[in-house]
Amino acid sequence: MDFSASYRGADGATSGHNYELEVTIEGPVDKETGMVLDLKDLKDVLEREVEARFDHRSLSDDTPYFRDRLATPENFAAVIWKLLDGALPPGMLYRVRLRPTPDLYVEVTR
Amino acid sequence: MTRLVRRFAFNAAHVLARPDWTDERNRAVYGKCANPASHGHSYAFELAFEGEVDPRTGQLVPPAELERLVADEVLAPLDGRLLNRDVPAFARAVPTAENIARHIWDTLAGRLAPAKLVAVRLFETRNNSVEYTGGEKPL
Repeated sequence: MDFSASYRGADGATSGHNYELEVTIEGPVDKETGMVLDLKDLKDVLEREVEARFDHRSLSDDTPYFRDRLATPENFAAVIWKLLDGALPPGMLYRVRLRPTPDLYVEVTR
Repeated sequence: MTRLVRRFAFNAAHVLARPDWTDERNRAVYGKCANPASHGHSYAFELAFEGEVDPRTGQLVPPAELERLVADEVLAPLDGRLLNRDVPAFARAVPTAENIARHIWDTLAGRLAPAKLVAVRLFETRNNSVEYTGGEKPL
């Protein structure tokens, strides 16, 4: 999914990105449905946990996650991992890949 | 576990040929890439680092330090060059994608400690890439 947000850096300057988020889930394929997870359910989780919290917000001012730390890609990916890991069925989240610019991404795995 | 991947790009010319082989043999092994007049590519490479995120900075690799190191040690020596002639490592080893990835690894491994370089992925074209994860002697 894509979303846009701003943040304050170490020098106090405010900047922003169009973030691209790639989420990988892993688990057994349900025999009845043939799916690991209904993509609609995944979409709902992403919209609730990520888009609603961060899209078109100031990460530093509009969210509680970066009061004591900078919204670096590393820290932001860790926050997103925690939110999604708490919202998805236990153990299903495999990887969060956050791409703030086309030439950089940060991955978090378990 | 956190992994950071940063992509860079440069342009360079190369000839795939061993000086100790005949033209026929080089042509047989390397095909049109053996053209003695050289040919070139728009190369790109991705550096993957793993390690602990520094709780003070929120960073796994300080970006300014990474930029400077790569600019000085990789891009400046390779960008706009004929690799065989202008880069000492490729006087010893044919500048294949495999060896260029290895050369970048040799140049950067251990330089951004405590972050650990875990992979160099070199793109010679959009479709061809080589990933080197260490383990061999430097070129």
